[in-house]
Amino acid sequence: MTTKRTCLTALAVAAVSAAFAFGAPAQAQDTIKIGWAISKTGPFAAGAAVTTLPNYQVWVKDVNDAGGINVGGKKMKVEVIEYDDRSNSEEMIKAVERLATQDKVDFILPPWSTGMNLAAAPIFNKLGYPHLAVTANTNQSPQLSKRWPNMTFWLGLPSQLVDGIVETFSKMQKDGKIGNKIAMIAVADQFGIEQSTAAREGLKKAGFELVYDKSYPFGSQDMQPVLKDAQAANPDVLIAFSYPPDTFAITDTMKVLAFNPKAVYLGVGTAFPGYKGKFQANAEGVMGVGGSDANLPGIKAYIAHHKEIIGREPDRWASPITYASLQVLQQAIERVGKIDRAAVINEINTGSFDTIIGKVKLEGGQNVNVWTVGQWQGNDFFGIAPTAKAGAKAPIDKPKW
Amino acid sequence: MNISRVYAGAGIAAVIAILAAVPLFASGYHLALGISLLYFTVLATAWALFSGPTHYIALATAAFFGIGAYTTAVLPDLLPIPLILLIAAVVGVLIALVVGLSTLRLSGIYFVIFSFGLSELIRQLVTWYEVNIHGSVGRYIFAETTSEGIYWRLLALAVAVLCVGWLIRHSRLGLAVRVIGQDETVARHCGIDTTRAKLALFAISAAFMTVTGAIMAPRWTYIDPAIAFNPMISFEVVIMALFGGAGALFGPLLGAVPLVLLFELLIGTFPNYFSILLGLVFVLIVYALPQGVFGLMAARVPSFGRAASATGMSALAEIIFGRVWPRAARREAAGDAPVLRLTDVRKSFGGLVAVDNLSFELRRGEILGLIGPNGSGKTTALNLISGAILPDSGDIQLDGRPIARLPAHRVAQRGVARTFQLVRVLGASTCLENVIAGLAFHSQALWGEAADTRARELLTRVGLGDKADMPASQFTYIDQKRLELARALALDPDVLLLDEWLAGLNPSELQVGIALVKMLRDEGLTIIIVEHMMDAIRSLCDRCVVMNTGAKIAEGPPAAVLADKEVIRAYLGDADD
Amino acid sequence: MTLTLDILLSGLVLGGMYALIAMGLTLQYGIARIMNLSYGEFLVAAAFGALFLFTGMAVNPILGLLLIVPASFAANWLLYRVVLTPLVKRAKNQGMLEVDSILGTFGVLFVIQGIMQVVFGGALQSYSYLSVPVRILGTTLAANRILALVFALVIGGLLYLLLTRTRYGTALRAIAVNPVAAQLSGIDIAAASGLAFAAGGAIVGAGGVLISMFLTFSAASGVIFTMKALIVVIMGGVGNMMGALVAGLLLGIAETAVARLVDPGLTIAVTYALFLGALLWRPTGLFGRPAR
Repeated sequence: MTTKRTCLTALAVAAVSAAFAFGAPAQAQDTIKIGWAISKTGPFAAGAAVTTLPNYQVWVKDVNDAGGINVGGKKMKVEVIEYDDRSNSEEMIKAVERLATQDKVDFILPPWSTGMNLAAAPIFNKLGYPHLAVTANTNQSPQLSKRWPNMTFWLGLPSQLVDGIVETFSKMQKDGKIGNKIAMIAVADQFGIEQSTAAREGLKKAGFELVYDKSYPFGSQDMQPVLKDAQAANPDVLIAFSYPPDTFAITDTMKVLAFNPKAVYLGVGTAFPGYKGKFQANAEGVMGVGGSDANLPGIKAYIAHHKEIIGREPDRWASPITYASLQVLQQAIERVGKIDRAAVINEINTGSFDTIIGKVKLEGGQNVNVWTVGQWQGNDFFGIAPTAKAGAKAPIDKPKW
Repeated sequence: MNISRVYAGAGIAAVIAILAAVPLFASGYHLALGISLLYFTVLATAWALFSGPTHYIALATAAFFGIGAYTTAVLPDLLPIPLILLIAAVVGVLIALVVGLSTLRLSGIYFVIFSFGLSELIRQLVTWYEVNIHGSVGRYIFAETTSEGIYWRLLALAVAVLCVGWLIRHSRLGLAVRVIGQDETVARHCGIDTTRAKLALFAISAAFMTVTGAIMAPRWTYIDPAIAFNPMISFEVVIMALFGGAGALFGPLLGAVPLVLLFELLIGTFPNYFSILLGLVFVLIVYALPQGVFGLMAARVPSFGRAASATGMSALAEIIFGRVWPRAARREAAGDAPVLRLTDVRKSFGGLVAVDNLSFELRRGEILGLIGPNGSGKTTALNLISGAILPDSGDIQLDGRPIARLPAHRVAQRGVARTFQLVRVLGASTCLENVIAGLAFHSQALWGEAADTRARELLTRVGLGDKADMPASQFTYIDQKRLELARALALDPDVLLLDEWLAGLNPSELQVGIALVKMLRDEGLTIIIVEHMMDAIRSLCDRCVVMNTGAKIAEGPPAAVLADKEVIRAYLGDADD
Repeated sequence: MTLTLDILLSGLVLGGMYALIAMGLTLQYGIARIMNLSYGEFLVAAAFGALFLFTGMAVNPILGLLLIVPASFAANWLLYRVVLTPLVKRAKNQGMLEVDSILGTFGVLFVIQGIMQVVFGGALQSYSYLSVPVRILGTTLAANRILALVFALVIGGLLYLLLTRTRYGTALRAIAVNPVAAQLSGIDIAAASGLAFAAGGAIVGAGGVLISMFLTFSAASGVIFTMKALIVVIMGGVGNMMGALVAGLLLGIAETAVARLVDPGLTIAVTYALFLGALLWRPTGLFGRPAR
């Protein structure tokens, strides 16, 4: 009984002291402290584990292998402090506060998902940290960057992604590759709804007919009913604004149903290396959000490097952009030459940077120069829209499943 | 007494003042930690308001929390915050009432999973509405709020939920759910409208959860169903409340605070092994603290244990929560007519006819013996009279008014009290509280000092005057029988139903018991006894009704019916063959 | 007519998966009386096992069953003996055991999830096996999903026969109804409950392997399956094998019908609505014993 009590007392004391007594010792700084709070457990963990966390790890390793970040002539290595936000907004806010006020980190990397980044925005802003909201994707982003000037967006506006879709299919229609009948399905979550709303408008304006247009709930375990009805509408194109598990299930089900529209665009997940890994030759010709110019030397090296460190290739949409955003951060710090967060924010917003995805120059806090539509061609997921972007490939015909 | 109250009051005020001052000197992180502590404290305490005494494990916290968050998100940012919170509370109460009415008849695990299913259904419907009607799943909340503001609001809410919890515990509502949690049947026969009590508490608990959601929402800038209706919240709150001790007012607080700090410690120290360690700690907690933190403390500090079962009553509490109860109709003055009349009452269970067209009258001031061999339907007859079950057909009248269709608590309020064949006392309550349960819900209900005085009188009367503050679970069998009688008498009944109340007593106890029943009759009480002991029947009963296989086979003075051939055959079986 | 048949067949296949997930839990909760919140974690662990065997060692999942099912049986038996038996012994009544087992298995849930997180990482996993079309009565279905349905029917049928037609099954049902009386009539409760719990574990292992052929999963997916299983079990009536099977199939058909005829956006809502409706209609599940 006594030992039990002692144990509990010790536990309580430890908990309290950990929570309250973490004073950061003042010492001459020779490392740069970078912290992040990200979903390592809970429903967001899967997304964070694909797009965000591996890139943080790869970048930290790259920087430290190169001797550190050059701050005013002194090479400072990166020291990492990380917390698990348990896929919970409140936990994330608390962890960010902890990083800033307890651990006194120099920079904070953002959490994963639109909702988490929006929840983090006021606190990043209040604390004066640059907020590289890479995985936030919303049409509100220009206004949000005005409201919180430290907040930058990197994936392009949802409407911009939709413009790419409309551009691609209009071109294909003009070339006589497809007719004008489109079936569209969307996951009933912010991403799916914003995208499908914008696409509905854009596609109609471009003269397409939506022969099937439905949303399905997040977490559906059977895509067959939706796809059967979509198939019955006999579309030329299937567009799905889906989340990764659904993207995989949709592909699988379409194969089983021998549902072969002339073009297929599937939402998040198509650009995952696992997609190609699972479907092999069947991935050929499938379009999706994102893409990269795999011929850029930076991208090639990045992919190889990522595979070496993490054990698998990165996804081809947000991963390279996440890594590029970290390069921007690093270059901004080096240009400012000291740990001056306000100056770094200013530099990120105004400077022009060389990254693995090419030259990056933010406009109003937005990185607009992005691939909006990609397609599996051979072993890589190439950007095909916007067509004006350097390195854009022409779309290929999708073979039958 | 008064001095210690003043000290206690001053102490509480000082604690609140210190907590309120925290934002003035705390860092952003400590403030965020404070917010976490407060919001889990509020949710766990609110959860335990309902689930603690009733033992219904509800997994609907996320539903109400989410509804609150959405209320804030939907209402325009310009509305004053108190108004938003008020609207949220009202919405929460309304939904809780609808939900409660449909779910509270479920029990055990069925209720647990139902409440979880309900949260998910609400989340799905909100999503569907947002997609198809609103056209966007996420909602932005740009209300200007600071962490300090949220902290203070939560602190006020925490103080409020603890105050409300304290008041409920000291009101008839609190007593009602404590009785329900221990024995719902006893509760009904004490005149407690159990549905109303549970519903009221469920709604109050839901209101606090909803307001918590409404307070927290602006902190996240952006709300979507996955954020607002995060099912983990439901589980975490249950774990915290159970860990602390859901039966005590401060139990959930004692669970929430250490667990939130523990989460924080683990997450900071082992971000990659958080899950594993958290799980191990949970398992250890289950082994090491079967009664929760509160139980542990109660076992060590006697004053803690006493607080958990004290009956303290408060007039203020009753003014606030007394409104839950409708005003019970005053009972009519009695005439010369029979007190109770059964006409062709019939009840069957499946194919078995337990009571077969039973008719008899009960005259004012008599003791009627209801006798017959085992399984002849005597207890079923008492259950029909007391409203525990409804007859298939026939009529039961009390003072000329039909009561056959009334639920048990209404019958009890009209002046029919009963004891049970297998004695039922509230073991976790004190002897005094057992009796007050009988006093507090009938038509001339007593509360506060008056109830206390009257309860002690009744206990003295049944010979338990010196044991008023003992837990009923420590009583001997005869004392439990006495206590049950005192509780029945507390209803100030016109008719008293004693179901084998004398069974199991030794000869000397039997004499005391018989004398007690006679005395009650002499004071004007009308009594039906179901009994097997012939000596007792002969010396007590004015008349007897004899039942066999559900039907009445004889009626008359004890000496006459016990000599009746058919009665003898019923008891002894057919001797002819 | 073809649409009706299509809905019926597709619904049955989906429902077969639900029933398969639920049947192990109905053994664990209905007979061993343990409310096992870590149930879904075992399912996901089995799925990871199948994935590892298939992609790492080129063992096809059907053969993998031979390895994973016994392993899951053993793991669950150990869980019952080591972690849960002390709680069962300590509990004075079903209510206490329910609270203790909810808390205890909630801890186990985190442990298993954490281990999977560390070993396999948090990312989504998926592979293809038997993802080939099968045409039945004009309806195209996926072979791997049909396999899950077949397993559900076979397991359900076998268990039903075992529980109703054999002496041992009668003993198990006696435990479910009244453990105290069962003990008095000479049944070794601890051993029988342990076995029932482990058998539930074996079924969830099989379910995990079969489901991994067509569903994408991650270390965090367990809770979803636990909840689905709970809903099917409760809707069918605790401890009733046929109830779980019927409830699962019913939910599958209802979901498919709503998706085809009304709005796919409402499929999950209709699951819960049906569940809540069934409980309001029959408070102890479709096939549950009426409460006394």
